[in-house]
Amino acid sequence: MKRIAFLFLAVSSLCLNADAATRPHYGRTLRVSLLARPTSLEPIQSLAPTAPQLAELIFDTLVSLDQQARPQPQLAISWSAEGGNRRWQINLRPGVMFHDGSPLTPEVVASSLRAANPSWQVSANGDSVQIVTDAPNDTLPAELSLVRNAIVRRDSSGKILGTGPFRVNDFLPGRKLTLAANDDYWNARPFLDSIEIEFGISPRDQLIALELGKADLIEIAPEQIRRSTADGRRVVVSRPIDLFALVFTRDRQSAEEGRLRDALSYSLDRASMRSALLQGEGDVAAAILPLWISGYEFLFPAKQDLARAQQIKSGLKQSSPWSLGYNANDPVARLMADRIVLNAHDAGLAVQVTPNQQTDLRLVRIPLVSLDVRLALRGVALAADIPAPAPGGTTLDQNYQVERSLMDSQRITPLLHLPRAQGIGVTVRNWQRTPDDSWDLESIWLATEKP
Amino acid sequence: MGPRKYLASYGETLSFRRKLLLVFALTVFFTVAAVSLIVSALARRAFQKADEERAAALVSQFRNEFNRRGADVTKRIDAIATSDSVARMALSVSNGAPDYGAYLNEAKTIADAQQLDFLEFTDSEGSIISSAQSPARFGYKEPAIAGLSPATGLFLKKEELADGIAIGMFATKAVRIGDKPLYVIGGRRLDPSFVASLELPAGMRVLLYQNVESAFSAKALSASSGALLEPEKLAPLIERAQRTGQETSEILHWTIDSADDEKLLAIPLKGLANEPLGVLLVGSSRRTYVDLARRIRSAALLVGGAGIIVSILLSGWIASRVTRPVEQLAAAARQVTEGKWNAQVDSKSSDELGELASAFNRMTRELVEQKEQLVQTERVAAWRELARRLAHELKNPLFPLQITVENLLRARQQSPELFEEIFRESSATLLAEISNLKSIISRFSEFSKMPQPQFQPVQLNDSVRAVTRLFQAQFDNREKGTIECCIQLDDHLPTVPADPDLIHRAISNLVLNAMDAMPNGGDLTLRTSHDANAACVEVVDTGTGLTPEECARLFTPYYTSKQHGTGLGLAIVQSVINDHGGKITAESEPGRGTTFRIRLPLKHEAPPAPIQTSGMFKQIS
Amino acid sequence: MSIIWQAPTISTHVAGTAGFSIPGIANANRHRPTFDNGSSFAIYNSPFSFMSRALSLSRTALCKLLVIFFLLLGSAVAGVDWTQIERDLSAKIAGANGPGAISLDLVNRASFGKGELDSIRRSLITQLSTLGIQVVKPDQAAAVVQVSLSENLQDYVWVAEIRQGTSPATILMSTARRATAPVLPSAHAPAITISRTLLWSQETRILDTAVVEVSGAPGYLLVLDGTGVRVSRFESGRWREEQFLPVNHVKSWPRDLRGRLVLRKDHLFDAYLPGVICSSTGGASLGLSCRDGDDPWPLSPDLSAFFTPNRNYFTGGLSPGIRQENSVAPFYSAVPVPKANYTLWVFASLDGTLQLVDGVSKQSLSGLGFGSDLAVVRSTCGSGLQVLASSNTDNATDAVRAFEIPDREPVPISPLLEFAGPVISMWTENNATNAVAIIRNLDAGRYEAYRLSISCGQ
Repeated sequence: MKRIAFLFLAVSSLCLNADAATRPHYGRTLRVSLLARPTSLEPIQSLAPTAPQLAELIFDTLVSLDQQARPQPQLAISWSAEGGNRRWQINLRPGVMFHDGSPLTPEVVASSLRAANPSWQVSANGDSVQIVTDAPNDTLPAELSLVRNAIVRRDSSGKILGTGPFRVNDFLPGRKLTLAANDDYWNARPFLDSIEIEFGISPRDQLIALELGKADLIEIAPEQIRRSTADGRRVVVSRPIDLFALVFTRDRQSAEEGRLRDALSYSLDRASMRSALLQGEGDVAAAILPLWISGYEFLFPAKQDLARAQQIKSGLKQSSPWSLGYNANDPVARLMADRIVLNAHDAGLAVQVTPNQQTDLRLVRIPLVSLDVRLALRGVALAADIPAPAPGGTTLDQNYQVERSLMDSQRITPLLHLPRAQGIGVTVRNWQRTPDDSWDLESIWLATEKP
Repeated sequence: MGPRKYLASYGETLSFRRKLLLVFALTVFFTVAAVSLIVSALARRAFQKADEERAAALVSQFRNEFNRRGADVTKRIDAIATSDSVARMALSVSNGAPDYGAYLNEAKTIADAQQLDFLEFTDSEGSIISSAQSPARFGYKEPAIAGLSPATGLFLKKEELADGIAIGMFATKAVRIGDKPLYVIGGRRLDPSFVASLELPAGMRVLLYQNVESAFSAKALSASSGALLEPEKLAPLIERAQRTGQETSEILHWTIDSADDEKLLAIPLKGLANEPLGVLLVGSSRRTYVDLARRIRSAALLVGGAGIIVSILLSGWIASRVTRPVEQLAAAARQVTEGKWNAQVDSKSSDELGELASAFNRMTRELVEQKEQLVQTERVAAWRELARRLAHELKNPLFPLQITVENLLRARQQSPELFEEIFRESSATLLAEISNLKSIISRFSEFSKMPQPQFQPVQLNDSVRAVTRLFQAQFDNREKGTIECCIQLDDHLPTVPADPDLIHRAISNLVLNAMDAMPNGGDLTLRTSHDANAACVEVVDTGTGLTPEECARLFTPYYTSKQHGTGLGLAIVQSVINDHGGKITAESEPGRGTTFRIRLPLKHEAPPAPIQTSGMFKQIS
Repeated sequence: MSIIWQAPTISTHVAGTAGFSIPGIANANRHRPTFDNGSSFAIYNSPFSFMSRALSLSRTALCKLLVIFFLLLGSAVAGVDWTQIERDLSAKIAGANGPGAISLDLVNRASFGKGELDSIRRSLITQLSTLGIQVVKPDQAAAVVQVSLSENLQDYVWVAEIRQGTSPATILMSTARRATAPVLPSAHAPAITISRTLLWSQETRILDTAVVEVSGAPGYLLVLDGTGVRVSRFESGRWREEQFLPVNHVKSWPRDLRGRLVLRKDHLFDAYLPGVICSSTGGASLGLSCRDGDDPWPLSPDLSAFFTPNRNYFTGGLSPGIRQENSVAPFYSAVPVPKANYTLWVFASLDGTLQLVDGVSKQSLSGLGFGSDLAVVRSTCGSGLQVLASSNTDNATDAVRAFEIPDREPVPISPLLEFAGPVISMWTENNATNAVAIIRNLDAGRYEAYRLSISCGQ
């Protein structure tokens, strides 16, 4: 009887999991489909803005942020600051090689950092690199973790080389990128032998490719997460890491305009946008940074207060309708823009959706570039073309004041914080969820589908 | 025959053939025109009626199509309302607040599947659960729900879209699962693509005017096909339809080409609350009708024109057939007038014209015979006149000769002492008379020796002035009364080809003639003038004048009304003028003087062949 | 000069402060943050008195130990002292508001329990009252103070919003986050169960552990990871790290690094790593001598197998071989199952199948749900020898189950023993009575080494 029971257990476990063994397999090729079309492998110009996840596969940074946004050694093994955090000494990891076998030297690192940060004075200093900034910079180690600060070397032919877990095998700009495992990677060779990334694949084609087993990793838009999950796909979702926001393209011209902007902000029904347009994904954004990064997002109002919006608007006259631009390639953006127009109309404000480039308002999706509060705020300010906050201390209160000043500028009205999601094939194993949605492709491996 | 002569000869009068032709042609033309007009008018009326019936049929067809589309919308809405997905949605609505996110794209998906432009699902309160046309509108109220009743069938509704206002043809259905109904409201957009999708007969188009603004706006007008060049022309019709709320029709002239005319029926579109939403304009082109009318007109013109041409040709042929004997008669008559007295006409037919031709031939034969007799008679008469003149002329000097000789003889016999004196006196007389005889003989001889003119450009004014200068002394030194000479010269008188000496002589002869006609003095006027073809010299006197009989014989040689004169002066003038291709005429009344008018052609032409009469004179001279 | 960060040579987990991953370790985590609720607080290992016993434990002893374990665990979790921040916050509120009556509203925007929230509220009221601020009902209050307990990536965030008249004030303070306790399933005892005991926990990937008994009692614990061997002495009921013996190697480790500790008689132990073999040296003060080499790794006292230097599996080459068979298909792990006249070897192949080799015949079994890690333990239950196999799930959690192979057909004989993360390694201990399972605890974000044994039910 016992034996029958155990057999049943075994069979039931078999039915539930018919996958391969859990120990990672080396080898095989991961096929990735992306919508972006990077035309260059330059981390700063092309790869970081369009596909930052890919840059991390080819290039390493000196520092990485751990899950608590603490700087951790990467190509740097230690660092120290002098002169009130103005002069930084970065000690490099020995024995690291670029993909062509050349060593990682302080000179190369200094050259790479100088190219990415013209305002820094970067110099090689023995086995280390010295960085001198104009003003005290408490966040420099965290800043070194940004993809744009990845260490890049250009060989004599101008080819870009990195030290990352994968080296470039073939690159057809805007079409395809083939990566091969870096066997001599300083932080252990990846399980995968290679990665084939196809660019410019529409979300629909990505889904089809995943269904047909022609892709192992695809992007899934936040509003598609619910359906994809319901359809039984393997979907991995990050924490809300993208900011959907309304950005005024110029400063308020008068106190009256500022009040009109207030009225617009109060009129917005972010909860409905989230629940319906984003299919319940993401969070209502009261502030630029989500609560899980800042811890104080609730200090900013986000709830729709139509009565207040109408009250503010009642005594004011809007000189001309605000034009609202959006990314025409983003289907949700159009719906969001339409909803904003409806909400604004309820408050007596006139907003017109237009595909034009020159608009009063822009509906933008801004990725948060770092888990570090100050860097994330600076990144958002840069992306929204708002004057970046001045550097200063990094205490909780100081961070709050910086975000408060950005919000008080009334140049940006946060709407939603959105997660990023990927659909992964049935054979993909060991997918690591990261809070900043970086892809840990060197850790994943591919199982054989039917052992 | 040159054109000038043709004009001179035929320009003023129509020939018989032409008259006949004209009569035939006019008769045929008016007949054909009248028939064409009558047929065209009748055909136009018939086609106009047919066109109106066609337009009405088109409108009826459009209405059927429109209604069919409406029925199709209703059918599709019914199908949607009975679908499983809508039943699930209705259940969700009945259970409480629906999940807008779950249905965000539901309406769009169903609308696409059902080929509807508009589709909304609302709860019993009218809150939109899912909207195909405006997905972001979820949660907002759909105002149409309040105006709906179970009896509401197909209705029109204005829909505010992101890109403007649209009119739709809607149907609705309530789905009742549980306590609260779910409303399905969907329809088709009335836009150019909708009207373009209507299966319209050829020559018909539908225009849609949407009430976007209170005043007429061309932007709100869209056509199913073809461009609208002057949409404002539709404004009065649209405004009338909107104002009256009734269907109204009008024929619009888009261009000056009547083929572009269009008959437009304006159908006002009203919403649930009878509010005006727009106007549907059903246009049927009048091109077919106009083209048909034009074809008929062209055919009528073509047939009429061809008929007229054929009839003219036929008339011409017939006229030529009819008038040929007459023309031959006329030509023969002309020949007769030109002196060809023996002209004959072919006379083959036996009809009246044949008889006429025979009679003419008879007449000419008789004329020739009579003329020969007349010539003979005139010749005899001329010889008699010549003999008389010669006798008269010669008798006058002969008589003194005879007397003188007799005196001499007598004197020799009777008074030989006086004979010498008498002889001297008589021989002087004899010499004088003999001289007189020689003079007479030389004048006759001179007449017979008239030279051929040597042409050169001659200014007649100069000739006139020369003649007056020559005679000025004689005008002034007359025994009885002086002659007042007045010269009226044409300053723009062109030169004429002429022999200046002969012309001088001719004018001198006329002046001499005038002086002779004014023995007691008077006024002599010499006048030059010209027209397009000729230069004129007029010599006008205020003399005794001439009787008509004298006028008729004025230029006859050896005729004179004077006591002294050979009667050759004016004959010489006529001879000179004839030799120059000119013409001399005389007008006179007894007691009022005479006017001689010489016309000399501006261009030299060969003088006409001398008529036989001149030959007679030659023979005479 | 102020040192901001210096790579530690030894993990500081024992001290209970923030621990860092160590550069150069070939773990799967490449220092990239992986998302979980883990903390950097070390989990103190329980004082395993039962380790002195060479054989399996009795149920009574196990229950006692579990009680002690949970008591210790509870003290670690509940021992967060909020007093300081409560005092500081109260002072700031008092500074901003001045003495008077306020209403206090406490909003939980973090993972605080209700009891904890009540405690904080009481404490705040007390602190405020000492500063002359009386907490009253909202309708009687001159100011409304809302204290939100939130959290960000690093800290707990305490926010006080003071609404008094038209001048609202906001006070933000933070305090370090506490550790999240590992969730252990409750132990119940069916007929045959697998028992587990947590031996060690650290942030970096553990490859193998070995307990060195001194006079029949657990004296030292050897923990092998990619950087070296940690030697801990069992003192006062807990393991205290004494020494770290670094593994020197030139080539970088492969991913999914594996390693094996084998206790020796002539010296303390050998450590097998891909392409590197290390031997302990010295007597009183231990040392570690490493050399590059591809010597076969011992699978049992009688059989060794060659390991691929830059991968995570055995090549299939056997030394000396199973009878005539000296090679099999590449495999991840292998266990011997002694039979009457022969030893049946079970290999977990790369393709997920099980290969049964007795030296005469080969048999391949698939679809049994076996994972890639096998171990064998002796017990007093069943046939006296059970094969432990990890599961082949791809879930966040993993499980181990005991099998017996009576007729070349594995028969499960225990329920699944579930772990809060994948089993990344499993080795048979030297004495073959226990097995060591290395778990990557996804909840805690740490690697844990468990000793597994078979408990016989009734």
